[in-house]
Amino acid sequence: MSLLALSDITIRYSRLTAVREVSFSMTEGEILFITGPNGAGKSSLLRAIAGVTPVAAGKIQLAGQDITGQAPENIARLGLSMVPEGREVFGSLTIEENLLVGTGMQARDRTSRARTASDLEAVYMTFPILKDRRNGQAGLLSGGQQQMLVIGRALMTNPRLIAIDEPSLGLAPNITDQVYERLIALQAQRQLTLLIVEQSSARAMMVGGRMILMRGGQIVLDGDARTLGSGEAIQAAYFGYEDH
Amino acid sequence: MSAVSSATETSLTGEVIAAKKQARFALARKTIVTPILLSLLLIAITLITVMTGSRPFNQTVIDVLVRVIFVVGLYIFIGNSGVLSFGHIGFTCLGAYAAAWLTINPIMKSSALPGLPDWLLQTRLIYWQAAILAALFAGVAALIFGKVLMRLSGIAASIATFAVLAMINTIYSNWDSVTGGTSSVVGIPIIRTIWPYLIGAVAAIFIAWAHAISRSGLALRAARDEPTAAAASGVDIPKERLVAFVVSGAVMGLGGALMAHSIGVVTPDTFYLSLTFITLSMLVVGGMGSLSGGVIGVVLLSALIQALRWMEGGVSLGDATFALPKGIQEIALGVIMIVILALRPSGLMGNREITLTRSNRNT
Amino acid sequence: MLQTLFDALSLGSLYALGALGIALIFGVMRLVNFAHGDVIAFCVFALLWPSTDAMAIVFAGQLPWYLLVPFVLLCGAGLSVLCEIVVFRRFRNANPATMMIASFALGFVIRYFLLMLYSSRPKSISLLPALSQPIEIFGARLPLLQLITIVATMAILIGLTLFLRQTRFGLEMRAAAENFSMARMLGVRANRVIMGAFALSGALAGAIALIFGSQTGTVDIQMGASIMLMAFIATVIGGLGSLGGAVLAGFLLGAASVVMQVALPVDARPFRDAFVYGAVILVLLFRPQGLIAARGTKERV
Repeated sequence: MSLLALSDITIRYSRLTAVREVSFSMTEGEILFITGPNGAGKSSLLRAIAGVTPVAAGKIQLAGQDITGQAPENIARLGLSMVPEGREVFGSLTIEENLLVGTGMQARDRTSRARTASDLEAVYMTFPILKDRRNGQAGLLSGGQQQMLVIGRALMTNPRLIAIDEPSLGLAPNITDQVYERLIALQAQRQLTLLIVEQSSARAMMVGGRMILMRGGQIVLDGDARTLGSGEAIQAAYFGYEDH
Repeated sequence: MSAVSSATETSLTGEVIAAKKQARFALARKTIVTPILLSLLLIAITLITVMTGSRPFNQTVIDVLVRVIFVVGLYIFIGNSGVLSFGHIGFTCLGAYAAAWLTINPIMKSSALPGLPDWLLQTRLIYWQAAILAALFAGVAALIFGKVLMRLSGIAASIATFAVLAMINTIYSNWDSVTGGTSSVVGIPIIRTIWPYLIGAVAAIFIAWAHAISRSGLALRAARDEPTAAAASGVDIPKERLVAFVVSGAVMGLGGALMAHSIGVVTPDTFYLSLTFITLSMLVVGGMGSLSGGVIGVVLLSALIQALRWMEGGVSLGDATFALPKGIQEIALGVIMIVILALRPSGLMGNREITLTRSNRNT
Repeated sequence: MLQTLFDALSLGSLYALGALGIALIFGVMRLVNFAHGDVIAFCVFALLWPSTDAMAIVFAGQLPWYLLVPFVLLCGAGLSVLCEIVVFRRFRNANPATMMIASFALGFVIRYFLLMLYSSRPKSISLLPALSQPIEIFGARLPLLQLITIVATMAILIGLTLFLRQTRFGLEMRAAAENFSMARMLGVRANRVIMGAFALSGALAGAIALIFGSQTGTVDIQMGASIMLMAFIATVIGGLGSLGGAVLAGFLLGAASVVMQVALPVDARPFRDAFVYGAVILVLLFRPQGLIAARGTKERV
């Protein structure tokens, strides 16, 4: 059974159609990259899955449940953790508080409290820099550290699916490399399901996994990132040569 | 070579200006329907009132017309700039007191308001001359306050205008020798005929229209909708806001003067929070993005208030008389306002203006 | 001198508590709640039995203080939450001007509801009479009430800080105040947080009602409005949405009012408030985003 399934999703902003009848599904443990040029509708799609942007038509299912039109907090409670574009750390909260915001979904008994503590330790193990500055204000972290913080924050909710919008945005290439290195290690270690939006398909080809290429609100290519990357099809699809 | 190019440039600029003029003229012709229709609405209401010949009804419609002036005044600034102002009733206060200073019998004035300068104590003008001067006075005050305030925007600007209102109220409530303090200033000639108020309201509507299609008004609305783009294309936002602030301040002053003449008495608290909120409510319920919204908001809410008052007085149905208990009128008004806003968050008219052809977006 | 300090602190306390009530709701909802002053008035009237007589018929006001205080706080919290459920929930996505006018209309409804039940005449009420006795501290005679006002305000502020810093709910509220949409994506329940903010804000209104009611000894429909105007200004000067800023600005405004009352020449004293408002404009010109700019300036989607 697929973990996430979108069927014929259309998203409109007043008269502008950002996403047009998009369908895809992903299975547990998969890494799926959604790539495509600016304005392809990638971020809109992700925001719709998270319940922040309303969909005009179509259906979204998470682990077999219909989540179309659900409130973001309910979708989060069903196991989706979103890392939005621009990271959106809570700047006035401490780093540890940032990590704890999403743990309110668990029951409040002794076992889950112990589990939260061990989750926190695990995140600190992966990102030692966060542990060093756990009581510092999150707003004072650098961009790369903030990106690690929000990934840690997403992990803390024990999600079934993590959706990340442009993790490389505004980061230096070597920092982006570090972020991805940790992310992929985590994925292998915990069998995470990752849905990653990136503008450039280069990263997807490097990391591997499945890749969907979007343009003009529609899916133009869907396949294995490494094999797709080598062909000329991707160039054509990305730049839309066939139109001319 | 350079001479030739500069010559072509000049002729080009000339053409552009001519084209712009033509565009402006076309815009004026296209949009003038709105103020004409709104004026016709007010004229119709006035004519019906005159025909019924009822004194209390006459006074009610005078109140409506005065409020039209206030709300149109508010629209000129709030509607075009998108900045909510709580301070405009302060300019109404200035206008009303200016009218009082200029029209009260000098003998009464020198005993009630001995602190006025001699020349003002001796002056006694006809009400319409006083109203024009009152509007100018309020406009100048708006210019002075606006010079400082228009550097602010958003909620900070709104609060600063609130501070202006509170400041004017404090000064007028305590400067006993000039304003009579918190006690009423009486002896303002009462004008009972409805026509001056109609003329005032129609004038306010046309002033608002003329401002809206002026270069400044267009630039201001552009800045309201797309602040970054407007600033990038050279719109001086504080300056355009100041223009709107001064024009609207003057209209509020005119309204204040006419209100003073409609009731014959002024106190500082007449022009404070409750008037501020009732006029703002009318604008927002009607739709703060459009002139029609403002006028229709006044007419509808005033009609509603009147109907509720009438029901409070008692309605006979057959043998039984039903009367709403006291206080229900205000409660019902509040509830209805909430319901309208919940159903239509951008007001009854939204951003649209009424025209003959079809409602078109005023952006 | 000591007297002046205490005057400033006790006036500032009222403004600070009022500003806090507004800032809490603004933080999570971007709503400037004009009905807050009427919630304060409602809390005071809840002490009386509904009647339009000039004499106040004391009802809950007779309760001993340990029941009276929770009763009034609960009244405020209850009414405030009711406002949220019945009215404000429908305005979550409306623009700030519309929300503001809706809150004003709601305040109007509450005010005239009280007027219908109690008439518009101010009534005198002696609330906790034992507190108006003066006591002597460092050679200055101060009303005990003033001292209690200050101490109670400090206790409320410390309690609220602890609540926001140490509890799960406080964490969710701070996160939601900074970035509502992100907090929801982390499973923070929007309705719960907003209702919590309204409940806290209403309880603060109850606290103001108790303090103000016992200070003035009168019950008046208008009583909320006078504090609210200053509290509202304090919220903005403090930096809308910043709780610390609201408290700071509340105390500053209280101090400014009292100091000007003492320092201004006698002729200018009646115009004290005009000077205070002038100072407000000056502060805004130099710091349009407030003394302590709130971080969560991001608009809600």
